[in-house]
Amino acid sequence: MSNIINEAPEHIDPRLPGGFQLPPFGIHQFLALMIVCVALWALGTVWLGLQGAQQWVGSWQNNIQLHVYLPVDKRDKLGELKVKLSSVEGVSSVRHISRREASEWMQSWLGGTSLNVEKFSRQLPESLELTLADERNEFLFSDIRDEAAILGATVNEDEVQLANAHELVQSIRKMVWFVTIILALAMALIVSNTLRMTLLARADEVHLMRLLGAKEWFVRMPFILEGTLLGAGAALLAWLLLWPLVLGLSSWADNMGISLSPFALLLPLIIGGALVGCFGATIATAKLVSPDSVDN
Amino acid sequence: MLKPNLRFVSINADRALLHRYCFPMSDDKQIIHMQQLMLRYPAGKVALSGVSLSISKGDFVYLTGESGAGKSTLLRMFYGGLIPSSGRLSVQQWDMRGVAEGDVRELRQRTGIIFQDHKLLFSRTVFENVALPLRVQGWEKERLVPRVRKVLEFVGLDDRLWSYPEALSGGEQQRIAIARAMVTNPPVILADEPTGNLDEETARRVLDLLMSLNRNGTTVIMATHDLHLLTSHPGRLIQLHQGSLIGDSQMENSQAGYSYE
Repeated sequence: MSNIINEAPEHIDPRLPGGFQLPPFGIHQFLALMIVCVALWALGTVWLGLQGAQQWVGSWQNNIQLHVYLPVDKRDKLGELKVKLSSVEGVSSVRHISRREASEWMQSWLGGTSLNVEKFSRQLPESLELTLADERNEFLFSDIRDEAAILGATVNEDEVQLANAHELVQSIRKMVWFVTIILALAMALIVSNTLRMTLLARADEVHLMRLLGAKEWFVRMPFILEGTLLGAGAALLAWLLLWPLVLGLSSWADNMGISLSPFALLLPLIIGGALVGCFGATIATAKLVSPDSVDN
Repeated sequence: MLKPNLRFVSINADRALLHRYCFPMSDDKQIIHMQQLMLRYPAGKVALSGVSLSISKGDFVYLTGESGAGKSTLLRMFYGGLIPSSGRLSVQQWDMRGVAEGDVRELRQRTGIIFQDHKLLFSRTVFENVALPLRVQGWEKERLVPRVRKVLEFVGLDDRLWSYPEALSGGEQQRIAIARAMVTNPPVILADEPTGNLDEETARRVLDLLMSLNRNGTTVIMATHDLHLLTSHPGRLIQLHQGSLIGDSQMENSQAGYSYE
């Protein structure tokens, strides 16, 4: 091919249609790239937010625990409380935190101080650590609260809120998947529409290739390639545009103990974008009829 | 309208004779063979009815008839653009009734097609237009340029390799279309009114090119209205009228011009 290019005048770029030859990149493709990029950027942002939220409640993801406190003056009811809490549906185990363990925890919480914390820890209420089952009913925390209240104990409400936040994140995750699928379909339609315009503009070429006996893959491949590359290109651009967002939010994220990593989104975005583009191109070329087609 | 010195032997009157003429004993030299061919469009219009004839390898055939006589329809059937409703049609050994999709592709790769409107790709250079059939057939890129250059030399346009078709005249465009049709060296070339939009001199040059191809062994089937061209370019004349075959005669050169015998 090099000799062809050498022989051609400078402004000519010989491009033979069909097969693995990409159609020219025009304004329609640029617009589609931008639209798909914005949609993928929005998706990337949502998934990044979800990543942060999951990190925020990260310690709760696999081993959800809750603490119930019994005042020191009601220590005699500890055994009864443990039995009652164990019987609550959705509680998988109940463990008593010994005074020594509490002292050690307080020592470390105070930064390994040389103070004798035993005196303080004696003032701490008795603590029961509840491990929750994966399957939980909506009244679990109310049931625990009720059982604890009967014997004068209290539940760590911050932990309850965190557990609820975890539930919320799980629900949001499902919604994000739903939004992802809807947006993926929308993007596929955008790619499909763009390629339909390209196909209309190149209907003569497609017709001619068929008249010359071209195989269907040969006729359709340029458009499938274009759709796939359009999706992957938009995804790469969207991923690059996530960085200003991440860098802008870095100090806030640090304060929250969150470390956002766009690298985790790179492959999913590019593969997803390419698949969506390929799907859109497949839709566009599914009904590619020409006069004199064999199946007419 | 020129009136060439033609003598017709009508074979329309004697169907039996026509059939005998069209269907000699099974002959390997036949490249197209049809018997009682009929085509009815879905809307009900009958485009071709009871057409029986054979075309041998190396023939130069003119398909003539008024507009709507079925010339283009017949040509389209020769490359699988239309499938017969009834009757029998075999083209290059393929039975066109119930022909498989892959076979139609193969048939089209072995057939050069020239259209009245050229069907050139105006956004692509002459090289790209002519090289397209080779690319469809998977030719190596390195072999494309010499082959394209060679056929463009044949049609006298090798200096226009990198021009765009819109910069060429109608006659030049038609010669590019001929180059595209012949570039793969197909055994059959179908030409649908290739001289329809050309002045007489240019039309003669186009016909000269087709005749040259024919002399090299290519079967040429050409639908045309330009009967006056037959005086200078003799061949077999197949006449259609309202979808039926009304004449089939061989035109030969004579000292005073050309005549039918």
